Amino acid sequence: MTFELATRSRTRKVESRGGQWWMDGRKVDVDAVKVGDASAAAWSVLIGRRSYEVAIAERAAGELIVHVNGRAVVVNGAATRFGTRRARPGDAGAGSAPLQSVRVLAPMPGRITRVLVKAGEAVAARQGLVVVEAMKMENELRAPRAGTVTDVRAVEGALVEANAVLIVIE
Amino acid sequence: MRKILVANRGEIAVRVIRACRDLGLASVAVYSECDRAARHVRLADEACAIGPNAPAESYLSIDRLIDAARKTGADAVHPGYGFLAENAQFASACRTAGLTFIGPTPEAIALMGSKTQARRAAISAGVPVVPGTEEPIGPGEPDDVIASMADRLGYPLLIKAVAGGGGKGMRTVTSAADLTSAVRAARSEAGTAFGDAAIYLERRLIRPRHIEVQLLGDQHGTVIPFVERECSIQRRHQKVVEETPSPVISPLMRTQLANAAASVARGVGYTSAGTIEFLVDDADRYWFLEMNTRLQVEHPITEMVTGIDLVEWQLRIARGETLDVDPMLANTPDGHAIECRIYAEDPDMGFMPSPGRIVALRAAAGPWVRDEGGIESGGEVPIYYDPLISKLSAWGPDRPRAIARMARALREYEVLGIKTTVPFFRWLLTQPAFLAAKFHTGYLDELLQQRRGEPFATADKEEEEAAVIGVALHLLSREASVAQPVAPGRLALGQRSPRDEVPTGRGDWKALARAEALRR
Repeated sequence: MTFELATRSRTRKVESRGGQWWMDGRKVDVDAVKVGDASAAAWSVLIGRRSYEVAIAERAAGELIVHVNGRAVVVNGAATRFGTRRARPGDAGAGSAPLQSVRVLAPMPGRITRVLVKAGEAVAARQGLVVVEAMKMENELRAPRAGTVTDVRAVEGALVEANAVLIVIE
Repeated sequence: MRKILVANRGEIAVRVIRACRDLGLASVAVYSECDRAARHVRLADEACAIGPNAPAESYLSIDRLIDAARKTGADAVHPGYGFLAENAQFASACRTAGLTFIGPTPEAIALMGSKTQARRAAISAGVPVVPGTEEPIGPGEPDDVIASMADRLGYPLLIKAVAGGGGKGMRTVTSAADLTSAVRAARSEAGTAFGDAAIYLERRLIRPRHIEVQLLGDQHGTVIPFVERECSIQRRHQKVVEETPSPVISPLMRTQLANAAASVARGVGYTSAGTIEFLVDDADRYWFLEMNTRLQVEHPITEMVTGIDLVEWQLRIARGETLDVDPMLANTPDGHAIECRIYAEDPDMGFMPSPGRIVALRAAAGPWVRDEGGIESGGEVPIYYDPLISKLSAWGPDRPRAIARMARALREYEVLGIKTTVPFFRWLLTQPAFLAAKFHTGYLDELLQQRRGEPFATADKEEEEAAVIGVALHLLSREASVAQPVAPGRLALGQRSPRDEVPTGRGDWKALARAEALRR
């Protein structure tokens, strides 16, 4: 599989095939073991002999916050490609299509004060979608990329848990 | 005294429950609805529901707490800090109900809780106070009278709430033109926060340090002051880092501060644990600021450099024991200790509260590190209460080595699911002025302002590479898990069993890669 993953500084092409890893075409010596609770996305990663603890805290589909030895790195995965293969109907992954659609999640528990878009509406990247209030602070959630709103689950006035899916964009 | 009701939650409730257990006393936790599964409830011997999430209906409800003590047969109450810890009505309600209040008397709480009365107590003990108005300024006081008081005092000055605390009802005024509107704002804030709009004026010292003296008093007239704590690292008047001893206090000055603190406390017949706060300037002049009539968040660092358990002594004093701590031991620091307050706040978003579920937590541990947390992995930081999730302390034979151990502990501290102030502390502990101990109470706010919202933890190139590899691993495992059925035993026709190929639980990426290859 090949991924195109953007951090603040640049976009990197990461390839994983048969246990081998390449970064921007350069072979890297990676050894990774999943650690901790099954529900926590955490790995011990050895790159060469350097030891990293990598843990993922999902903010919204398409954008991930990754802790590396305790430092947070924001990685944008919206441009992820899975090789050159296209998803076909009937593929195991096609039903939930986790990477084609972008789910906008509640960043914290709170109350929905405003819903700014409707299903079927086209949205531009960084367009405001929904406003969540928590601890007397208002937080406008924006579209991580351009697309069409396919699902509006946020209801004005409703209380939401952290990571509740509010809007889905395709 | 056999059974203690701990009228608090979170890390301080955990601390008190542990002290009870050390002394062989039974403990009763109380909890609001959202705290049913909280750590303090699970660690206590007994637990009692006290109402809904809103603090006023649970942890701040005197009636419900007294009722919980009755129902569980508790004979004493420890208030922790925050909530009702400095509420004289609560202490007196406990007394009326025949419960031992583990803290000072209601009279001492009421006296020192009034900032103007506390200043008078300091003056009569012969301790200098920050120049200011001696009588409370009531809501009816005309603006021109206040203006002439302010002129006599000089600018810049501070308006403070008589019933104040935690920076609420406090305003800095730099010129006469701003006085009237600042008085109005301070009165309204004080009225809302404390139900008392009375204020007073105090000269604003330039770049002072905040130095405080912990003390213990027993019911037989003994008061013992401890080595000072340096609490100048504050954000918006809230302490974030504390250390002891202060890097700028000489042994002579230590004795002076200790004597001043002890004479204020003796003068008001103080019992239990309390703290006298001072402001200290460059020329080693000191002024009484206020007294906290409770245990403090920063008590662990004093325990670390003296070996004296302050919470245990609170319990022993409450049951009438004689305080037999060696005064020399209490006032002579062994090494250096430092504490960082770990808050559920996002330092990169202006320290915005960050409540929510902690999906993974590894608290710091290791040699000479003490972490006192109120929450565990899988626990929830509720939106209703204080965001302090843990007090992290480290000890070293001297200041540089204490800081080095703290830096190591912060490097190990990992919290997933919510944001914490850990990255901020890692950054602060590298700042030259902090390392050189050249700071004052305004230092941190000034330093933060210079940063203009720059993120606290910037990863280097190697760490970014590790991050993208982590994301690739995450996406591979998520892709693999899509093939899993919702529930075992309900496999859809034509779908392969995930056991054949998908590494669940503790799989490694090699297995994931195989799974991916199989599906190709």
